[in-house]
Amino acid sequence: MRTLVILFATFLFAAAAAAQSDLTNAIPEHNPRTSAADVAAGRETFHSHCSPCHGYNGEGGIGANLAAGYFYHGSTDDDLYRNITQGIPGTEMPGLFYNGDRVWQIVAFIRSLHQPDVKPPGDAARGAAVYKSSGCAGCHRVNGAGGSLGPDLSDVGGFRSAAYLKESVLTPDASVPRKYWIASFDDASGQHVRGFVQNEDTYTIQIVDLKMQLHSYDKSSLKNFRIEKKSAMPSYSGRLTDEQVQDLVAYLWTLRPSETLSSEKLR
Amino acid sequence: MNRLLALILAAAMALPAQVTFDRLLNAASDPGNWITYSGSYRGWRYSELNQIDKSNVNGLQLEWVHQMPTTLMVEATPLVVDGVMYVSEPPSNVVAMDARTGSVYWRYRRALPTPINTCCGDVNRGVAVLGDRVYVGTVDAHLVALDAKTGSVVWDVPVADRMRGYSMTGAPLIVKDMVITGVAGGEYGIRGFLDAYDAKTGKLRWRFWTIPGPGEANHETWKGDSWKTGGGSTWVTGSYDAAQNLIIWGTGNPSPDWNGDSRPGNNLYSDSAIALDADTGKLKWHFQFIPHDLHDWDAVQVPVLVDDTWHGQPKKLVYWAHRGGFFYVLDRETGKFLFGTPFAKQTWAKGLDDSGHPDLLPNTEPTPEGTYLWPGVQGATNWYSPSYNPGTKLFYLSYWENRSVYRKGEQEYTPGNRYIGSVPDIDLKDDPGHGGIRALNPRTGERVWDYPLQTKPWAGVLSTAGGVLFGGSDEGYIFALDAATGHELWRKNLGGIIRANPITYTINGRQMVSIAAGSSIFTFALPGAAR
Repeated sequence: MRTLVILFATFLFAAAAAAQSDLTNAIPEHNPRTSAADVAAGRETFHSHCSPCHGYNGEGGIGANLAAGYFYHGSTDDDLYRNITQGIPGTEMPGLFYNGDRVWQIVAFIRSLHQPDVKPPGDAARGAAVYKSSGCAGCHRVNGAGGSLGPDLSDVGGFRSAAYLKESVLTPDASVPRKYWIASFDDASGQHVRGFVQNEDTYTIQIVDLKMQLHSYDKSSLKNFRIEKKSAMPSYSGRLTDEQVQDLVAYLWTLRPSETLSSEKLR
Repeated sequence: MNRLLALILAAAMALPAQVTFDRLLNAASDPGNWITYSGSYRGWRYSELNQIDKSNVNGLQLEWVHQMPTTLMVEATPLVVDGVMYVSEPPSNVVAMDARTGSVYWRYRRALPTPINTCCGDVNRGVAVLGDRVYVGTVDAHLVALDAKTGSVVWDVPVADRMRGYSMTGAPLIVKDMVITGVAGGEYGIRGFLDAYDAKTGKLRWRFWTIPGPGEANHETWKGDSWKTGGGSTWVTGSYDAAQNLIIWGTGNPSPDWNGDSRPGNNLYSDSAIALDADTGKLKWHFQFIPHDLHDWDAVQVPVLVDDTWHGQPKKLVYWAHRGGFFYVLDRETGKFLFGTPFAKQTWAKGLDDSGHPDLLPNTEPTPEGTYLWPGVQGATNWYSPSYNPGTKLFYLSYWENRSVYRKGEQEYTPGNRYIGSVPDIDLKDDPGHGGIRALNPRTGERVWDYPLQTKPWAGVLSTAGGVLFGGSDEGYIFALDAATGHELWRKNLGGIIRANPITYTINGRQMVSIAAGSSIFTFALPGAAR
């Protein structure tokens, strides 16, 4: 009887160890489900389970942007699998109780959101020269060199498509991130101020003006307050030839992230 | 001998007095303590304290801060019993502190299994205290009794199966010698219930299923097996009407949230106020705010119980500002609808009929393409507490004016997974809306005053006999308003999102105000008062 108990206990221990092993070691390193049908199935599950936080196309919302190709909590296939099945402790990301293929299909869909786009036409070296001669560096920064009024472009090719880059050069007003909206108002001394809204709450507003000076105001002290959802960047349509635009886009497209990620890149 | 007696007496005085049911019944007249979630069984989140008043509230100063070792959202209401503060730390931990200094006596850390299944963050909204025990519900759906002096576990009972999507995030309510607790999981196709446990032993006394099973009244409001996964969670603490011995509690959305095809019918008792006999758990009455809800507008608000005249007759009333955007007055003896009117922008109902049911506008159901509606998915208000002040006779609440795009999708139920049937756009990036604090005349629904905020608040409100209303915002400000006019009297940036309810109490005769912001509890008092 005692032997039976010991045997049974050993069996239980082994079973528990096996179950543990299933949870921790049995995740394949690479996604075994990557067909087009898997991506489509993953899209379905994503839309019903993940989109409320991560956006319909993974563009982010309450949850992180999953389309940028960067992941804070591990970017290998098995990292993604683990984070989906188990959730991410310390965040609002819950675990999904599915496992196996259905999760791998979600991973496949997430991967499909960020496809390295095809190298655009144009000559990147010539584009770099256009960048320099057109004054882009007056406002933009690449790898630490340049101005800071506009977005840092050090890795812009990693998360913006060539089409987006071209649109930004020719029609800057088409898509203006909120942090580049321009607030204009008269301050308490009557001085007219224009600047980017860095932050705003019920009572105060923080801006960086177009001379790159930081200001924080009590809203109650401001007059003629307006927000312009337009870009401070001029359009280069007509200022650059089609070929120059193509070369410039080719250059910007080559700007890729280094291994160190900044929060800026993940927005 | 006298010396020995003196020693014994001194020791006895050093021990915190026990929280008895009698103390809980009379909590409103013991404003030096905050011994139950809403301050009293009436759900008023109101205090008779008046040391801090309209004239001096702008002198409030920080007394102490308790930082929690967590990055999770803190939604807890602390309790204060005879100088000891008990508060939950997310996900399911509890800490006891000296409420004078914030110094920690003990901390209970719950070891949690993985995965945990909460829809909207591993949070906890507070604990309950009875005798020398502290009770907490956990995100893995257990109810735990802790020794109030040491934090050691007295008992730990499983309430529901986390692998089927159940969790517990709300503060329990003590009634008599029972711990009343609800469950969360309305986005996971649970079958909701409200439970009563023996406070001494943890033994289940009764269970009321919010989704009736075969043979039970109103089961026919569900089709086929849809009742098995019908939702009707109970994740926000209810109130207790001692005179009628009724527990009054709100229930959550039917599941799946945004696609009702599998559940034709009224789907009782989802989105309802339910009144249960405290001894038996039997339903005395119910009022369903939204039959066959398709928008996730849970009735998970704290019921506010007021005795007043109604059309010249003394009446036991319930005031209820519901997530769908209407303010209701119910008869507390029958559950009958007496009055209702919108308190925020809504575009889904023409109004309410004589029975209190909504007269729906056309084209308001979720569609595959999306339907724009006010209020948004998070409602015109939500779980955060309202307040009723008997001095002003006003009802105060945090409100939202925003919209969402409601989409309808297809979804099969699988245990433990989200069962929502949709992909709503909860918060529109180009049109996020705003919120604020509003005072309503509960007799007419008139909006007496409005304190608008740039953002949408997730914090409850507290009003006092000092004529002050305390609230907080996602922007990180705690503020004090004139309860009569809404005029701002004081505010302070606490540097962290406030998604919790404020409380007030006294330490050595000195009035304190505490609220969670970011991952910390902040406590304020006037300088110079007795220490």
